[in-house]
Amino acid sequence: MDGSAAVRVGNSWRARLALGFEMQGARTVLARRSHVGPLRVQKPFYPEGGACHVYVLHPPGGVVGGDELDIEVNVGAHAHALLTTPASAKFYRSGGACSLQRQTLRLAAGATMEWLPQDSIAFEGCNMRSDTRVQLAADAHFIGWEILCLGRPASGERFRRGACRTRFELWREDVPLMLERAQFDGNAPVLSARWGLGNANVTGTMMATGANRQTLQCVRDAVADQDGGVFTASLIDELLVCRYLGVHAQAAHNAFVQAWTVLRPLTLGRTACLPRIWKT
Amino acid sequence: MLRTRMSSTASVDALAHLRLWQLISPALPVGAYAYSQGMEYAVQVGWVADEDSAGEWIEGLLGHSLAHLDVPLLRRLRAAWRDDDVGAVEYWNALLLAARETSEIRDEDLHLGSALARLLNDLGVAGLASWPGARRATYACVFALACERWHIALSDSVEGYLWSWCENQVAAAIKLIPLGQTAGQRLLMRLMRPITETATRGLTLSDDEIGALAPGLALASALHETQYTRLFRS
Repeated sequence: MDGSAAVRVGNSWRARLALGFEMQGARTVLARRSHVGPLRVQKPFYPEGGACHVYVLHPPGGVVGGDELDIEVNVGAHAHALLTTPASAKFYRSGGACSLQRQTLRLAAGATMEWLPQDSIAFEGCNMRSDTRVQLAADAHFIGWEILCLGRPASGERFRRGACRTRFELWREDVPLMLERAQFDGNAPVLSARWGLGNANVTGTMMATGANRQTLQCVRDAVADQDGGVFTASLIDELLVCRYLGVHAQAAHNAFVQAWTVLRPLTLGRTACLPRIWKT
Repeated sequence: MLRTRMSSTASVDALAHLRLWQLISPALPVGAYAYSQGMEYAVQVGWVADEDSAGEWIEGLLGHSLAHLDVPLLRRLRAAWRDDDVGAVEYWNALLLAARETSEIRDEDLHLGSALARLLNDLGVAGLASWPGARRATYACVFALACERWHIALSDSVEGYLWSWCENQVAAAIKLIPLGQTAGQRLLMRLMRPITETATRGLTLSDDEIGALAPGLALASALHETQYTRLFRS
């Protein structure tokens, strides 16, 4: 792709990042990468042998109305990629236009992907949509999460105005395993009602394939409720679905890292290897 | 053939209403009374504690979850059965099932769906035998088939579906909180207008608007799995 085609339309960015991971010998390499606009990856890390760790960067740090961020990741047969981000994705107040973040993750036969991004923050008055679609081949493995923070509680900002649509979908071949679609609009009943967010402003969902009753039990035993928030786990066929509802994005992250630490050896046969940027 | 049937519209319509009542009666032997859909947990932790909070819980889920999922899916499944489009039945059924948040809520849907499928089969309603995915049928999917074959008007069928869901939730509230029978009837009266509004709104949604997570319900349902004493299966 031609990097000079970076598109800036008015004050909006159309940014695109496409990554392709392949097995080469005993390790996974970042065989293809292309970008348009302000989305980048750092040089891959190999902190644990063959698995390829990559940080996805969005240098502007925030997304305004009209921006489109498109991330596409292909993990080739038997390759293993771990992706994370160094900072929250911020969706700023919009004058009306919708900002869109689209993340398409495709895993080929026997591939493994860990998708462990920082949270997305929906500023009050934003108009945002985030779609994450994971497409698995028959025997591919996935562990990943999405964390959403509505408003900026640290600054006393709630989410009285704005529109937030998120999707986190996992498909195995043509069959949807889990389709989670959320609609949080400023002042809608879902923000305050007990069946909704119950005035919590952070919600997160984690999904892991290859789970069973034993995995479920281990995760439940290992993860403590965090800082006023509640962590839950439910097993649907081979999919473990964990959720967090609370008030601190960091607490959601901590809960999911605890679950991931337990799950990784059980479902991927590897001990947890924390990405370095989480420690800073 | 369709024309012959339609020629005696009056008698068909009269039967259609009666068949809808049959389909949404609590006496329909599918076992819906065994499921609270997270309400049992909500009552245990005090989120639902009286008539008013029960009304808020049920009405809120109706206007958020059912309006964005069950209702638009009923419409699409109905059209798929009408056209005998097995691929579309399969697609929308899988989408509905995958949008169910937890193990218990999915199991409930599959139990009710297969119980209704068996019943319809025994009653001679055609359609399920030709669909290989029938053992993963959701309740709404089989309900839509019955309404299609029994010529029940779409909006009536959707209101009926929502009514039976509300009635089942109110019955659970009466047992769990507990509430008196009169309070239960007051709740049903409160839910009537929201039922019609939910049906109207849900039937107009585009594909892109389908699905609306209720995080508190998902939490309640997941924690119900490990709740110490349980009357209900969800």
